[in-house]
Amino acid sequence: MGDVAEGGGPSLSTAFRRARGGGVAASFHTVEIELLRSLVGQLLELVRDEHAASPGDTGWAAELGLSDEEQKRPTDPVLLRLFPDAYPDDDEAASDFRRFTERGLREAKAGTAATVLASLATAEDGLANDSSKPREKIRIELDGDESQAWLRTLTDLRLALGTRLGVSEGDDEQWQALDENDPRRHVHDVYDWLGWVQETLVRTLSAGLD
Amino acid sequence: MTAPVEIERPEAEEAPVADVPWVTVVWNDPVNLMSYVTYVFQTYFAYPKVKAEKLMLEVHEKGKAVVSSGTREEMERDVEAMHSYGLWATLQKAGDRV
Repeated sequence: MGDVAEGGGPSLSTAFRRARGGGVAASFHTVEIELLRSLVGQLLELVRDEHAASPGDTGWAAELGLSDEEQKRPTDPVLLRLFPDAYPDDDEAASDFRRFTERGLREAKAGTAATVLASLATAEDGLANDSSKPREKIRIELDGDESQAWLRTLTDLRLALGTRLGVSEGDDEQWQALDENDPRRHVHDVYDWLGWVQETLVRTLSAGLD
Repeated sequence: MTAPVEIERPEAEEAPVADVPWVTVVWNDPVNLMSYVTYVFQTYFAYPKVKAEKLMLEVHEKGKAVVSSGTREEMERDVEAMHSYGLWATLQKAGDRV
């Protein structure tokens, strides 16, 4: 499984903590907010069901997974990781499972991504209306449903970036050894940062479970 | 003399093979955080923290773990839920080699 570098995360954002009123909250730099908005926007484009937009495939038959058009097994490794085969040794059963579930899973992932985008926009609107606060820091406060959306979307983002990069367990040194100008190093830094944000969110939410 | 005839019923063989014939398997991946996988097992399956952590470590160290069992339909629901959380999960018959 993945790991988060010891010694904490980057200096710009602050860890998620329990907020008054039962939610959780963290502060982000406006640059980080823009980065998140861009990444989540790309994720939304990726998971949005391309078949749903085609004419003749939006009726009740498609909704029930009975459309003639079969949900094809993705060729993009990121989509295949987000929507893996449910039956490793049975192609026909795996295909049936995909036909009945992938549309719903895509909509659910698009929905959580949209919730994250909305919470980013809400926080920015709040800042725009309050001139007393420093403008480079934005406080994000999440209720229960929003927290769950963030958890899942941060996971999907890391799965997408991790799959594109080809990360493996215990390979941190390999990425740190890359040239400073290598774009893969920058992407891996973002991947690490998302992991740090998620770790602080999971720990905060886990503390309220037992 | 002849050997005594075996008259006892071979109970082990005649017992119903599968009250719970299917299992959900979660596989290790290099991305998901250990804390998150534990959290998913606690919240989705309502497992106590100790059991959730034990299963998470089994996934991490052995590469996979059986996390639930039940009917095929129930396991398809669990696998779909695991995919919605971003965990890599499959289902199979309980007797099949994991």
